[in-house]
This record gives sequence, C-alpha cells and structure tokens, in this order.
Amino acid sequence: MWNTRIETVMSEVTCPGCGLSCDDLRLEMDNGQLKSLENGCALARSHYSSAFDTASKGAEIKGKGVSLEAALDYGAELLSSAHNPLFAGLATDVNGMRATLELADRCGASLDHMNGDALFRNIRVMQDSGWFTTTFTEARNRADLIVLGGKQWIDRFPRLIERILHPAESLFSPPDDRQFVLLGPWDAAALPDELQRLSPQVIPMQLEQLSDTASLLRGLIAGRPVNARSLGNSVGSQLEELAGQLKAARYSVVSWSAAELDFPHAELTIQNLVDLVKDLNRTTRSAALPLAGTLADTTSNQVCTWQLGYPLRTGLQRGYPEHDPILNRYQDLLKRQEADLLLWLSSLSPQAHPPATDAPTIVLGHPGMAFDNAPDLYIPTGIPGVDHPGHWYRGDSVCPLPLGQLRESALPAVSQVMTALNDKLQHFAGL
Amino acid sequence: MLIKLAGGKVYDPANNIDGEIRDIYIRDGAIVDTPPASEPVHRSYPLDGKIVMAGAIDLHTHIGGGKVNIARTMLPEDQRGHTRERTALTRSGGGHAAPSTLTAGYRYAEMGYTTCFEPAILPVNARQAHMEMADTPMLDTGGYAMLGSDELLLQLMAEGAEQETINDYVAWTLHASQCIGIKVVNPGGISAFKFNTRELDVDDSHPYYPITPRDIVRTLSRALTDLGVPHPLHVHASNLGVPGNFSSTLATMDAAEGLPIHLTHIQFHSYGAEGDRKFSSSAAQIVEAVNRQPNISMDIGQIMFGQTITVSGDTMRQHANHGHAHPNKWTCMDIECDAGCGVVPFRYRDQNFVNALQWAIGLELFLMMDDPWRVFLTTDHPNGAPFTSYPHLIRLLMDRSFRNDLLAQINPDAAASSHLGSLDREYSLYEIAIMTRAAPARILGLADRGHLRPGAIADITVYHPADNPEKMFEKPMLVFKDGQVVVEEGRITRPVKGSTQVVRPEYDRGIEKRLSRWFDRYHSIKLQNFRISDDEMAEGIGSPVSIHPCDRKRTA
Repeated sequence: MWNTRIETVMSEVTCPGCGLSCDDLRLEMDNGQLKSLENGCALARSHYSSAFDTASKGAEIKGKGVSLEAALDYGAELLSSAHNPLFAGLATDVNGMRATLELADRCGASLDHMNGDALFRNIRVMQDSGWFTTTFTEARNRADLIVLGGKQWIDRFPRLIERILHPAESLFSPPDDRQFVLLGPWDAAALPDELQRLSPQVIPMQLEQLSDTASLLRGLIAGRPVNARSLGNSVGSQLEELAGQLKAARYSVVSWSAAELDFPHAELTIQNLVDLVKDLNRTTRSAALPLAGTLADTTSNQVCTWQLGYPLRTGLQRGYPEHDPILNRYQDLLKRQEADLLLWLSSLSPQAHPPATDAPTIVLGHPGMAFDNAPDLYIPTGIPGVDHPGHWYRGDSVCPLPLGQLRESALPAVSQVMTALNDKLQHFAGL
Repeated sequence: MLIKLAGGKVYDPANNIDGEIRDIYIRDGAIVDTPPASEPVHRSYPLDGKIVMAGAIDLHTHIGGGKVNIARTMLPEDQRGHTRERTALTRSGGGHAAPSTLTAGYRYAEMGYTTCFEPAILPVNARQAHMEMADTPMLDTGGYAMLGSDELLLQLMAEGAEQETINDYVAWTLHASQCIGIKVVNPGGISAFKFNTRELDVDDSHPYYPITPRDIVRTLSRALTDLGVPHPLHVHASNLGVPGNFSSTLATMDAAEGLPIHLTHIQFHSYGAEGDRKFSSSAAQIVEAVNRQPNISMDIGQIMFGQTITVSGDTMRQHANHGHAHPNKWTCMDIECDAGCGVVPFRYRDQNFVNALQWAIGLELFLMMDDPWRVFLTTDHPNGAPFTSYPHLIRLLMDRSFRNDLLAQINPDAAASSHLGSLDREYSLYEIAIMTRAAPARILGLADRGHLRPGAIADITVYHPADNPEKMFEKPMLVFKDGQVVVEEGRITRPVKGSTQVVRPEYDRGIEKRLSRWFDRYHSIKLQNFRISDDEMAEGIGSPVSIHPCDRKRTA
C-alpha cells in the first residue's frame, strides 16, 4: 500500500512509534486534527498527537524565519565550505536516507544514528561472529519458551506481549502453554499486571550479570563443570533449571533490547546471549529476537548497508566508504572536533535534539522542535507517515512497511530537501 | 534519432545469426528495421568486425534483499579490500563477494550485462529486494518469489486444497511481491528445520504436515503451468552440498512429472559418494537425465577458488555447513513463517579435494550438456564465486588448453577422479551468446530482449575481438542500454536506472479473503501492507514495473 489518498478514516496504518511497527492502527481525522486513534499504545498516541499538534512552519536561519529557497541556499553554502561534515541523527524514512547518502557521498560526510550506541552493540556481534535470529511472526507462532533479558522492553515495545509473546492465536505453540523467564532487575512481587498474567519465572539480577548468566547457561547445557551457584544459591538453582528448560524447549526465543544494555562492552553480553542460542541449535531449535528499530535506526542502517556496503559509522571523506564502529561515533567526532559541520536529521521526534557543539549546525527536523539555542539553520521537514508516504523497517530488520500519508502538508520531505541541496552543490561544482 | 551500428560481427542466436557482418539500427531506444536509404542517420558507430551481441542477462544472481545486507554487515573485510572511489558520474562503494548495490550495478554494466534477476525473494522481504535492486543502477531487474516453505502453502496442501486454490495463491504471491517467477528452496525443508528436522529428502514426510518435497515440486510446477507463467518453477533441490545428493536431484526432476522445471546451481546437487573420500562427481548421471528430459533446464553455479560468502534461503543446509565458515562467523535466520536465510562466508581452495572436485564438476556439467539453450552461465553469485568471475569462466569453457593447465594445478586426487581432462569441447561465441542472452530471455518469457530483432529494446554489447575470451568479455568496447551508450571501453559514461520485470497471471481475487483471514489470525503484518502496488514500485521504491505476458493457452 502506497497511500497518498487521504481519507477521514485511515485504517491499517503503520506506526513508527517503536520498532514493533504495528500496522493495524485506525486513525480518524477531522479538519486536519486527530479525532481518534484505535489499536495504538501510549507511544503511538504520543507520536501522533505531537504530529497533529504541530502546525506547519517555515525554515529559520539562526532563529529568524526565511524562505525555503533561502534556507537551501544557505545550507548548500555551509555544506560546500565544510571539510569534514558529520551527518548524524538520521531518523528518517528509506527515501530520506537514500537522498542523505547521495549528498553524503558528494560532501565526504561521516554518518551515525542518534541510537548508534545501541545499534552497534548488536552490529558488532554480527560483524564478529554472526548470529541466529527470528522475526515477529515466527516467534508469535512458534516460541514455547521465551527468555527476556532486561526490563525496559515492556515500555520500549508496549504491544510486544499482545502481538508476539502471548497472541490470541498461534499456529504451532498454544499461547497459554508458553513459559516465560525474566532475567533482569525485576521485583517478582511487583510485576506489571499484563506481565503477571503470564506467570513468568523471575530470576532477578543486575543487567551486568546477564553476560555471566549466559556463560553459565552455556556451560550447564554443554555439561561442563561450571558452578552456577557463583551467582548466589537461589539464582544458581534457577539457572540450573533454566538450562534444562532450554534444552527441552522445541523453539526457545532469547530477547533483549540493546538500548537498555547501556554499560561498557555490553556487546560482549549480547555475544554471550547469541552464543547461547547458537549452542542450543546443536540439538534443538532456538533463536534470538533482538528488539530494536526505534527512531528509524534499523531503517537508516539498512539503507546505508546496501548503498555503501557498510553499516552506519562510515565516513566518505576520502572519496570511498571507510567504516569504523568506534572512531565514527558521532559524539566522539564532535568531542574530538573532527567534524566542522553537523547536519542533524530528526524527522520523527520533536524531542530528539542535536547535541551541543561549536560546529555550525543544520537541523532537518520534526516541525514541533523548539530550540533553546537556535541552530545555524533549521529546515522543518515532513513527518514520514503523516505528511508524506514513506518506508520504514520493523526492528526485526526483515519487513520494510509502507507509511501512508495522513494530511495535506506544505512541509518538504527529507528526501526533497537532501535532493535540493545535492542539486545546488552540483551546480556549485559546475557540473 | 536514428543510430547505426555499422559492420559489426553479430552473434544473435535467437535469429540464427552466427557471426555475420551486419548493420543494426536503433531508434527511440529500440532496434528497428533497416530504414530507407533516404533517412538520415544521426549517429553512426563504425564497428569494423567488432563482436556484437544483445546485452547479457543473468538469470540467477543474489544482488538484493535481506540476506545480502547480512552478508555485507558480516564481512566488512570484503568491502575494505575492494573499494570503489566516487567519480564525477558514479557513486562510491565497494565489496567483492557482497558488493554495495551501486557497485554491483556498475560492474555488471562494465561487463556488458543489462538485465539481472535476484532468485530468492522472500515475499515478506520483497520491498527490500526491490529497493536494493532499484539502487542497483544500469540494470533492469526482476526476481523470483520463494514459496514452498511458507506455512500457508504447506497448510493449504496438507488440507487437500484444490489445485485451483493453490494456483490463486501462487498468482497472488507473484502480484503482491512484484516478481516474475517462483523459486522453491529445499522444498519444505526451511519449514522443517524450524521443527528441528535436519534432513529432508525428496520422499521424506515433513515433520508437521503429511506432505513431501516431491508433492511441493509437483504442485508448484503444476500451478505455474496452469497459470501460464513463462519461467518454469526455479528449483533449489533438496540436500544441497550433501555427498550422494545426485539421487535427490534425479528424484526432483522426476517430481515435475514432465512439467517444466529449472534446476538451479545444479553443481551443488551433482555429487556422488564414491571413492576413498566418499565424495565424487555424478555430473554424468545428471547431464544424462537433463539431456533426456526436455522439460528440464539448469544453471550451473560454478565455483571459483578464493574467498566468497554463501547466502541462501536454505537454513537447513546452511546451518549444517556452518562448521566450514571461513572466516569463522555465520548467521541464520527464521523468517515470518515465510522462509529463512543462512549466510556463511566460505573460501574455496584449489588444493582442497572437495573444493577442487566441485570446480571440476561444474565444468563437467557445462561441457557434457548437449543443448546450450537449457544450460545457463552462473556462479550463483556470490555462492560459487562473485559474478565478476564470469569472463574467466567463459575462458574456461572456450579454451581447452587453458582449462587443462588449471586442471593440472588443482588437488591431484580431485583432478584424477574427474574426467574433465578428457572433455575436448570448446564453447563457441555463438553458444556463449545462447547461454548468456538468448536462452535466459526465452526461459523467462522476455520477448523484448536477449536478441537483436527489430522491436527489441536496444540493449547491446560490443566487444573487441580477442584471442583470450577473458580479456574480451571483461571489458566491452560499448554497452547500449535502451539505445544509449552507457559504457565505453569498460567504463561507465552514463549512469542510468532500470525497471522491474514482472508477470501478472490472472487469478480469482476471492483468494484474498482467505489470505486476509489467515494474516489477521497469525501474521504480524496486514495483508494490505504486505502487497506492493505499481504506484509504490514507481514512486516509493523507485523502479517502475514492466509487465511481460503470461500464456493462458498453456492451461490444461
């Protein structure tokens, strides 16, 4: 569905509020205002209400209103005088990212997403060892044992239980027979109701202990002489039991949200979880379900990977792509003053502001953004899925879904702004 | 504007033209009849005996979709070693086994290819495959939708659904995923692996549904025949890479019951289990069977020595082979009750007995096959080798002494157990033109390309004649895409974008009700959002569709 026809009631709308990308939303509009929203969670409500609360507005140079043409001229001037521009944020749709990469190639820019830290906790595991994963529909129909690391998933992916973990129906694994195991800083006596209803086993632990936990489980499953009680007697005996459950499960699913694992070298924790899954597949079936996709991190990374051959955190300064997942972290490029221009792309959230920097800053962003310190240039852009149609990836990386258009809008799409800037730079170059 | 290619030596097997000196005229992107002498020629290319062929067509190359992006992610070293700098006309990129989309398009064009087909599109991932191919410049593209391990088809078959219902589902899938053919990969096996089954031969029952791979091949080939889809069922047979698998391959041929099927990367399916090492060539048995059964065609999936990465929907076999990963990393994925994928880097070594024999088996198959119209030149890019090795492969086929020199360098036990050295055949330019142009167009139902008859789109490649075919094929003098020169002396001179080739068999849209109900109950995507429209292809994905006809007359 590539929807550019706007009706009063739009159904089967895909929501970019989180990486679950539920595509069963029903929105009713009245005179360009949102009247009702069905099937949406709290994140969806917040996404659509901030979108519909925002009136269209014009571009600004240092906080002063200018025409779009003047803004594009100024943007092209800033870009052409920069030696090492940094394109970061990158919360946009597929076509926005395509046009961004074309401009980045011309300008020799470096690229990183606002969620780069979380994204690369997972990607570095793929680069080092690969992994074994599953997707939403597969887990929904097949999982009989679900192990969830951490606790933020319940807020970050609000409809995960309803849509995947415990759906109304399933092809191969009756939802009521499923076993759930929670590894993380949970208080078993104070679980949220919807989680309590699943009667999960809770193995309380700090996030930093997940890595050791996965290692111990691997040892127990392989029959090596490991001492699970090193994590405490109670946790130890639960892990011994869990090792047995994992071996006996027909299709276990191990899940985490890398954004929550916000501590040094958390990629090694993910590595251990992935290796646990790989080990289990020697005798039974198991798969990982990394939860991601927030603010288009999966989307912009996918497009970058096919067009440049590398994931994000790639630079084009030398006329060809060079990738380094550590050196090209946008926060560090700015801190080391290695970027002399920041182009911040944030078309999905009015809150995702650019980092403070001395470098000249261009923001292509959500029309609802308000700045304490006005950037050198702000071009409000259309919200994909509201102001213009687009494509967006779910967090399981496999399913790019169409985002329809919900209202008439004068706001340019990120792809249009990037293409216009590219044309101007091409003109400067005399080509 | 009238363009004349004057005095080229033309190889156009679709029109039985074998190296004749001819003039070719182009107007508005198409080849036209010789115009009256009074009509002015706006641009003339004096070719003086240069070799002229239609633009080449690759009917099996993994250039788009999630599995390729996984391969790119897993092998930054593959990009690092093969960078491609930005120029005034072309974008930067790189990669060898898993090139970036832009680099893949440029390289294909630089070798004289103008149309390529991605053979393994998961319907649920079709948008991505088409988006990647839209970002693969210079080429027209298309793809085959994977069915046969999707739970919906297996469930329909297990419930004893009418063939007519299956046909509607197959046709709906072609429409929804904007594909030109149907591929089956390890029939039923990707699903079976999700139930922890590690082997599934042609007559083994699926662990959950009371059906066999044989049933799946028969049912799908029947569906495509009934629907009049030109391309036969594209089959990646059971037991890929397993010693002794030639018997599964023969059984798969048998399963088609005389209906057209295409066996892909058949080199990986032509293994015996004889000899001290329980690994041998069964190329002779396979070729004998293909020669005898005119309903069967094949592409080879030739391997070349060196580093590559294997990408496949066959999770069962990819997982089984992960111990061979080089470098030691691998990814598998179960996908949406639709299919799966497995990505395993691999280094083929000429001194390794198995790899050396695989190389020899591929060449045996090429050289023993009588009919060049039913065998296609592929390396199953990147699974056997990157597509950039095609010029080298063509030389191996055309130059017996070169081939024998290389045969003398591989693992001696492998060389001794192959009768490659006794095969004298050398392919002619005419036969190469069949394998890489005329035959792929014919088997895909592309009437508008693969030949140089008036009415064809003017996709034309001009080569400098050379004694060494590798040199000739790796750097064409000129490549025309839709009548415009896009490559000169092996370099891109005009970047262009292509279109997506599809078929649209007729079907009863009532099937959507049933599918929609199934999606609502079990899937995490709505049917409406699963389907890709023509507007979406043109405006959103960036590659408009070009529809090729189906032949309903084939309906029994």
